[in-house]
Amino acid sequence: MALPIAPRGLVADLITPLKADRSIDETGLERLLKRVAPHVQALLLASPHTGEGTALDPAQRRELLERTRAFLAPSPMPVMVWVTQDTREETHTTLRLLSQSLHPQGSSVPVFWVDTPLYYHSNRGLPDHYRVLCAASKQPFILHNDPQVMEAVARPFKRRNIRTAILKELATIEGMAGLLFSGTLERAHHYRKACRPESRFRIYDGDESHFLDHPSMSGTASPGANLAPRAWHTITRSSLQLSDSEKVYPDHLQQIWELGEYLRNLRDLYRPFPVPAIKGVLAHMDIIETPTCTTPQKDMTQTVKKMRHLMGQFGDA
Amino acid sequence: MVIRQAREVLRIEAEGILDLIERIDHEFVAAVDMIMRAKGRVIFTGMGKSGLVGRKISATFNSTGTSSLFLHPAEAIHGDLGMVTPEDVILAISNSGQTTEINTLLPILRDMGAKIIVFTGRIESPMAHHADVVIDVGVEREACPLGLAPTASTTAALAMGDALAVALLSRRRFSQKDFKKFHPGGNLGQRLSIKVKEVMLTGAHIPKVLIGTGILAAVEEINAKNMGATLIIDSDEKVAGILCDGDLRRAFLKGEGIYGMKVEEIMTPLPKTMSEDLTTGEALALMELHQITHLISVDENGRAKGMVHLHDLLGREGFRTNGITDCTERSGR
Repeated sequence: MALPIAPRGLVADLITPLKADRSIDETGLERLLKRVAPHVQALLLASPHTGEGTALDPAQRRELLERTRAFLAPSPMPVMVWVTQDTREETHTTLRLLSQSLHPQGSSVPVFWVDTPLYYHSNRGLPDHYRVLCAASKQPFILHNDPQVMEAVARPFKRRNIRTAILKELATIEGMAGLLFSGTLERAHHYRKACRPESRFRIYDGDESHFLDHPSMSGTASPGANLAPRAWHTITRSSLQLSDSEKVYPDHLQQIWELGEYLRNLRDLYRPFPVPAIKGVLAHMDIIETPTCTTPQKDMTQTVKKMRHLMGQFGDA
Repeated sequence: MVIRQAREVLRIEAEGILDLIERIDHEFVAAVDMIMRAKGRVIFTGMGKSGLVGRKISATFNSTGTSSLFLHPAEAIHGDLGMVTPEDVILAISNSGQTTEINTLLPILRDMGAKIIVFTGRIESPMAHHADVVIDVGVEREACPLGLAPTASTTAALAMGDALAVALLSRRRFSQKDFKKFHPGGNLGQRLSIKVKEVMLTGAHIPKVLIGTGILAAVEEINAKNMGATLIIDSDEKVAGILCDGDLRRAFLKGEGIYGMKVEEIMTPLPKTMSEDLTTGEALALMELHQITHLISVDENGRAKGMVHLHDLLGREGFRTNGITDCTERSGR
């Protein structure tokens, strides 16, 4: 069976709703999915920045995946799950566990594994590593390159980016569907050039700010879509030139501009502490049960107030 | 900040074009072949900014020897389709490949028998399915935020259009002469932009002989005035015909005792005339239309006022005004 192609468009980088005891808040997850899913092309679960990924154990990731798929079925909306663990072996184990959860449901929901390889592996030998993984997995992979995540690993001399030549080789492997990229624009150009022959290989903007400035034609993974999914949907369609809405109303550009400013201003508010801020707002709106995070708690009262005020002006609060 | 942003924009647009290089493949060659084989014109179509790009590429095609025009998709379905013939090639431009007007128009054009080339950023789009040839002009990143205006994608489409124009130009062996014909306003066309009356031979410099003159005398006049022909006039100096090198050659081939003949027996009667207010470029077009090398200007009584030869219009030397070769540039006069 042919592997699914990664979708173009908006990928919601979903927060992981947690109860006070740090277990998955299943009701909150369902409400969040109800709010977000109709407006996005795919969902990213357990990401290291937004989805508590590094703090979730394999069983929690599995639960997250199973509940999300159950909610989405029979919709064919793709789900991307961050599978990376501290070591190669642990990552293999997580992958196996998550793969088991996919059988024998036969769900129509396509699943993509998102992996930050440099977290546990060097550039050297990476293509061979993925040849083995892709051969063993029935689901395609999306690579994750993010120097900021690598900083957290805090190992001296460790490379923070996948080497361009290595990426070029990785993109040719069957089962490699794309790259979630954060980094400089210059590196994005190098990566694009390296992967150009692989027309199915997507390169998503891992940093939604970049997408708002110079949009990648593959799309973006956006934490902001947790808060303002409709606005993000509109901006993504406009940026990817998928929208005919300019023919519908005359002040289309004015509205797009205002929506873009709204998303930028919202992002500026949550950017210092994105997960506590987003969870704070969603908890305040009774979408999730608590604003519990695995990172140290911050007092987000003022930020949440400002965000809700801003969101209220655009009908999102 | 501004400088950094500007550099980023240029970088994104440059990368968009550079990415096209590797995508020049058999589809591009097929597009060139299709246009070369077409007996009709290349008709560009596109909405919004893509339409503007189409207009520009169309202008480039016209300047480089490929007959072209622009068809607005919305106007097309309100009557302008009449300008399309089955012998034309349609070149539709849409980055998304989902432009409703184009996707409505293409099947109609296809049914009319026209061939279709598509420039799109989405080779799997509905628009691409209507096409005989699909050229991928997609870019990975737009420079303008929020999709407010297409930037890198329109630059890429424009550049691909230029690549096509130049490939066609090369295939056609487009010459300097052709370029002049299409560029009367440019340096190359400067020579062809001035009025005929400024450069034609006049008065005694016009070669002419009376009706009844013998062939040898006429040949002496042709040699003396160095025009490759002589006018034949009647007793009122009214132009009755022209005797050129071609008439002489044809007479020789007949082998009917040419030396004893009179000019009126082998001349071409009623030579083609022109208005002296024509530009030299227009005179050249007239010569090409009638496959001749001389044109004359006559007054209201039919008397010769002036005469030009093809070489006077195209020669690399300066204009030969009234028998004197002028090697100075026109602009220096």
